[in-house]
Amino acid sequence: MQLLVNGMIAGSLAALMAGGLALVYGVLGVFNLALGQLALTGGYATWWLHQQIGIPLLPSILGGIVIGGIVTWITFEIVIAPFYRRHQFLPLVTTIAWSMVLDGALMLLFQEQPRLILDAPKQFFDFENIRLSHEQSVLIVCTFLFLAVIAWVLTATAFGRKIRATVQHPDAARSLGISSSILHRIVFIGSGVLAACAGIYMGIDQNLTPTFAFPMTIKAYAALIAGGKDNFWGTILAAYLIAIIEQLAVGTPWFFGTYISAGYQGAVALLFIIIVLLIKPTGLFSRSTRIA
Amino acid sequence: MDFLLHIIILIATTIPLSLGYTFLFGRGKVFHFGPIAVAITIAYAAFLTLDATGSFVLALGAGVIASVVFSLLFAWLSFRLEPDSLGIMTIAMHLAMLNVALNWQSLTRGALGIPNIPRMFFMQSQGAFAFWVTIICIGWIIFFLWLERTSLARQLTALAEQEWHAKSLGINRIRVHLVAFIILGLTMVNDNFFYPQYLHLLYPTDYGYPLFITLVMMVVAGKPGSILGATTATALLVALKESIRFLPLPISVLGPLRLMLFGVILLVAVWVRRDSLFPVKRTI
Repeated sequence: MQLLVNGMIAGSLAALMAGGLALVYGVLGVFNLALGQLALTGGYATWWLHQQIGIPLLPSILGGIVIGGIVTWITFEIVIAPFYRRHQFLPLVTTIAWSMVLDGALMLLFQEQPRLILDAPKQFFDFENIRLSHEQSVLIVCTFLFLAVIAWVLTATAFGRKIRATVQHPDAARSLGISSSILHRIVFIGSGVLAACAGIYMGIDQNLTPTFAFPMTIKAYAALIAGGKDNFWGTILAAYLIAIIEQLAVGTPWFFGTYISAGYQGAVALLFIIIVLLIKPTGLFSRSTRIA
Repeated sequence: MDFLLHIIILIATTIPLSLGYTFLFGRGKVFHFGPIAVAITIAYAAFLTLDATGSFVLALGAGVIASVVFSLLFAWLSFRLEPDSLGIMTIAMHLAMLNVALNWQSLTRGALGIPNIPRMFFMQSQGAFAFWVTIICIGWIIFFLWLERTSLARQLTALAEQEWHAKSLGINRIRVHLVAFIILGLTMVNDNFFYPQYLHLLYPTDYGYPLFITLVMMVVAGKPGSILGATTATALLVALKESIRFLPLPISVLGPLRLMLFGVILLVAVWVRRDSLFPVKRTI
């Protein structure tokens, strides 16, 4: 049970990132490989505001989200907007380049040592043999609230209908007067804001180091691909599934009671996803579509 | 003189790899973003065999077998997945393989790598090493210049531009892509058989994500699919990468600065090549 809860904690982090990715892929049709760095930008900005400037935690978190959003907007204007209409795969390479620039900048500004947003020791509580910190329980609840808000926006607002229309048929949506360039910017910045929240989440629950960025991005993309690229909720489910598999892989006794080393945690989940994709290349929860 | 030979060795060992990659990714537009995963397996297969048997021939054979097996695995992935999914999942494979190399301590010695790797008897001095890897590199360049004129290269281009039309003309995608993957794998055998010998060390951290970025940069900057372009870009970028260390800056600044510089170079290269990197399909 503790493993499942640990999986929920890690899955919440991945779900925040993967949810934003699913929206961006659905609306723009592009991959953003600098997402992990954008997440860390939000986390480091919060750490800087809280630990270095001395601003209280909540305003620091809001500041981190705003800074994450601004850097995401700059990212869109520099590495997405000039390229994505020429070819949908160009941003795949430009965001790789941008991730290096951001990585270098983060290393120069914050060095490689781990940074914790909260320096006070965590308070844990036990419930039915499950050990959970107060911060972790708040973070899990916040993630569910975030996802509920996204669900509401997508299904019950005019803006959500515009997003769904653009995902289903971009040309028809444009002909009905939906401004794709504004929508694209809003959705992209929204994904960056979700990523910044994930970065802040990580800085509170664990710590921040620049080397985390790329594995975070790849795990979020693994969730997007494994969940089915056209299915937002499939992506969220896959994010939780990957995190739970990671926990079960290293926390469960396998043959003759032996355990898999914690170092293999990431590799096990990625290899599992690759095997799943070889069996079902469109993803676990993809919808079947008719093609001409 | 030593530094010049060092640069020559690095350039000569890297050029075949960038040529193989520009053939598959630059010309064939196959989103194989996991060549370094294959490189890791080749290097460990070769030098663990060398460690166990002491035979360079067997080590080379193990490297070739690892290269073919993993190239076929990646080719199979490419047949199953959509291009962008392939790109992401091959990066995932790279991270997974690096993870295994770093954590399987009883076999790979983890982050310490494999030390005391000997050089072949005729490559003991730096001058001899530079001479032989340069000769082999020239051989690879001639091979790729020949390959560029073969029907295989034309078929790869046709598949990249109009896959369905190419198939309707009788081009077998599976055969063409399998050969291209295997050629890339063999160029990686070249790189990963000589480079650890040169350093006397197989160091897993050398196989990180920056190495893949550098490879992409060599292909993009040198014009995708161009043999001479990739050769020139490789020579310039390797020389630039090695020269940066002479800047009078502390290591903590130099590393990030190099990352940022290479990121900007890649961005500019994509900007310049934005119409040719992934060309829009020609229509009548």
